[in-house]
Amino acid sequence: MKLDARIFIAGLLVLASTVHYGLVQARPIDEVTDSGYITIFVYQDYAPYSFEDESGELKGIDVDIAKHFAESLGVELRFLVRGADENVDDDLRVNLWKGDLIHRKVADVMMHVPYDRELDTRNEFIVLMSPYFLEEMAVVTDTAVLPKLETFGRFMNKPIAVEVDTAGDFFLSNAFRGALHQSIRRGRTFDEVIDLYKNGDVPAAMGSKAQTQWIANQSPDVESKIFQPPMPGIVRKSWPVGIGIKHDSRDLGYALTDVAFGLIQSGEMEAIAQKYGVSFTAPEY
Amino acid sequence: MNKTHKILAVASAIAFATGLSSQAHADVGVADIVGDQATTQDIVSYGLGPRGQRYSPLSIINKDNIKNLFPVWSFSFGGEKQRGQESQPLIKDGVMYVTGSYSRMWAIDIASGEELWQYDARLPEGILPCCDVVNRGAAILGDKVFFGTLDAKIVALDKDTGKVVWRKTIADFEAGYSYTAAPLIVPTDAHGPLILTGNSGGEFGVVGEVQARNPETGDLVWTRPVIEGHMGTLNGEETTMTGETNESWPGDMWKNGGGAPWLGGTYDPESKLAYFGTGNPAPWNSYLRPGDNKWTSSRVAINPENGEIEWGFQTTPHDGWDYDGVNEFVTFDMEKDGKTIQAGATADRNGFFYILDRNNGDFISATPFVKNITWAKGIDENGRPIWDPENRPGDPAESADGKKGKSIFAVPSFLGGKNWMPMAYSQDSKLFYIPSNEWGMDIWNEPVTYKKGAAYLGAGFTIKPIFDDYIGSLKAVDPTSGEIKWEYKNKAPLWGGVLTTGGGLVFTGTPEGFLKAFDEETGEELWKFQTGTGIVSSPITWEQDGEQYITIVTGWGGAVPLWGGEVAKFVSYLNQGGSVWTFKIPEQLASK
Repeated sequence: MKLDARIFIAGLLVLASTVHYGLVQARPIDEVTDSGYITIFVYQDYAPYSFEDESGELKGIDVDIAKHFAESLGVELRFLVRGADENVDDDLRVNLWKGDLIHRKVADVMMHVPYDRELDTRNEFIVLMSPYFLEEMAVVTDTAVLPKLETFGRFMNKPIAVEVDTAGDFFLSNAFRGALHQSIRRGRTFDEVIDLYKNGDVPAAMGSKAQTQWIANQSPDVESKIFQPPMPGIVRKSWPVGIGIKHDSRDLGYALTDVAFGLIQSGEMEAIAQKYGVSFTAPEY
Repeated sequence: MNKTHKILAVASAIAFATGLSSQAHADVGVADIVGDQATTQDIVSYGLGPRGQRYSPLSIINKDNIKNLFPVWSFSFGGEKQRGQESQPLIKDGVMYVTGSYSRMWAIDIASGEELWQYDARLPEGILPCCDVVNRGAAILGDKVFFGTLDAKIVALDKDTGKVVWRKTIADFEAGYSYTAAPLIVPTDAHGPLILTGNSGGEFGVVGEVQARNPETGDLVWTRPVIEGHMGTLNGEETTMTGETNESWPGDMWKNGGGAPWLGGTYDPESKLAYFGTGNPAPWNSYLRPGDNKWTSSRVAINPENGEIEWGFQTTPHDGWDYDGVNEFVTFDMEKDGKTIQAGATADRNGFFYILDRNNGDFISATPFVKNITWAKGIDENGRPIWDPENRPGDPAESADGKKGKSIFAVPSFLGGKNWMPMAYSQDSKLFYIPSNEWGMDIWNEPVTYKKGAAYLGAGFTIKPIFDDYIGSLKAVDPTSGEIKWEYKNKAPLWGGVLTTGGGLVFTGTPEGFLKAFDEETGEELWKFQTGTGIVSSPITWEQDGEQYITIVTGWGGAVPLWGGEVAKFVSYLNQGGSVWTFKIPEQLASK
């Protein structure tokens, strides 16, 4: 209670000054519909889920789902786009309940939050709802060099690209007690990974299955194939992602869960994924 | 005492000879910065002299009359932006230049306490500073004042108007970089004065770097990455590589190795070297990066003429505890066994107090300055830690079966035996006064964490006090022996800098809101004043019109309140603020 009060006071002060970032609090459904808009968080530079195209337009699977969310409530859609912090717990704090240190801005809904009981339990100010997509780890290979990929042992002598400090990087760094260290080409961004692969500097790249399919689509000159060989020691080979909501805005979460479920049932979710060349796997409920 | 008077006499002789009075608005020369410690009528460097000793020879306020010290004025930073205030003000010609949270700066008329101008950096969206929105202070040269902003830029302002003269990018804030330290101005033969900055950014992907600029234009003169494998530059051309690629890093990990020198540097006028402390390596999990991982968690001495690293000393090789070795390197002359050693001292995050040869980095000694250190059993004769393998956080890969990994208790905690807050060295008592904290941390492998929506192996940690009744500990340490001469215990963790004076006094502030003065020899508390909010900044003292002033910036914040756990019990009741408090002995009491 004390914490809520503090955030609310901060909100009033922000409104009182000339800063016009809108309400800083994540809100229940009545407040969202009354205000006429909803703020939805998506990750920055996170193709194919959320990214800017060449013209600067926000696109991606999460972005399209968010559009359906806003449409279903009949409100204007505003995006909050930020990079990832050290872990998702930090992201939930910064983007949903506490806000950032400088502008104190939060969203009503956060997209792409792993649907995990442990994660939910240890973040008392938020609830996780509406798993809408099953994430899987995968590798994309240039079939001219690696027509098949039975095991990661292949990368003892062939380079593989991965975005630095991601689940894939962690797995590769740890694999076979560090034996692949010399083969890992870490891109500072996902776009650098795409370039390494597209330009033929590496015959393989690791990421989520959707990311590897995206890499393949961005590399028309490479004959690509997606593999999921055994990943000894990986934390999770697959996991569902859903939405995060502030704990006092559950009614908003229930409404959006219905929307997401409807998208899956109608095949619209699959159509959204296919728009980006990504295969859709529904999470199990 | 004799020495003090001599310095004062020299200072006033210079003032007379050049016809200066406190009313004249002269430009600051680089010689003023180098000689700042001896000229008590101004403070034109961070640390009261570029060596960072935080010692003033002034003795107008002393042990006998400190009881008569009262506030002259208090200045509020205003607005709703009350967060941690870690700034050390500068003083020149009756004007105080002070920076505040959210990258703001003010000029204040000292005689009246009134604002002359205010500058607010327009901060873009998308900056996510890891550890509060602090700023630690400005630099001054010529007719300009300089400070760094949270969006990793450095700004030069006209010191009389506060108008922007130039503004340059240190690093890309969108890539996770920030800036909070006070810039350092050093003289060079080759380029004239240079303004030196490190960089900040805890994210994996940043590379620590020191940059030197022309203070007139802001143009880059040289750059020096502190991670081996990266190339330095001079006048826009590549010069030499820092170390050798893969000497102490596996694969391509050096490309994103961390090591940000986020606390800025010190400079020694005799060795003519600039000293920077470097941050912890990335990624956090030490099992992924076998090797020493140079130069992370180190001190590096850089030749300002060309940006070359003259020497490096790594306090925590292959860091696995987040012992972010940025702590300041304070140079001093050490009398030991009848010899004078040109030394430097640094009190590291890892809990050990190191004495090095300031000319070549040779290891002289290391002694613990906090209690119950567990991560190392000691420091060997070469200056390397004697690790305790039992107390290195476990390999997260070992817990991939989904169970919580083994938990270890490491002392100090990752916030360090000493964090950013600068220590002080008295030329009279020959002691260092170290603001330290007695705390440890439980670290365990978290079976599943997530990063950017993906499952990941991480670690959990929680900071724990070691003692029930206090965390903060101000210690007087003899550098020749490492012996702790006295200790002042404070309930909340200490997070502010220290000042010593020729009056035999040691000043520091507490999170509970007190500015306190101690007897430099005994640690006896002689004076305190409640400022109304926590203190996490560094006090200063100077002389104006024959009177000695003391100033402290107040405002609770910094990294401590961002972490919960058991430490929260010691600090959760503290209130925020944002002010400058200035003190002197009132005229009516001055004769006594």
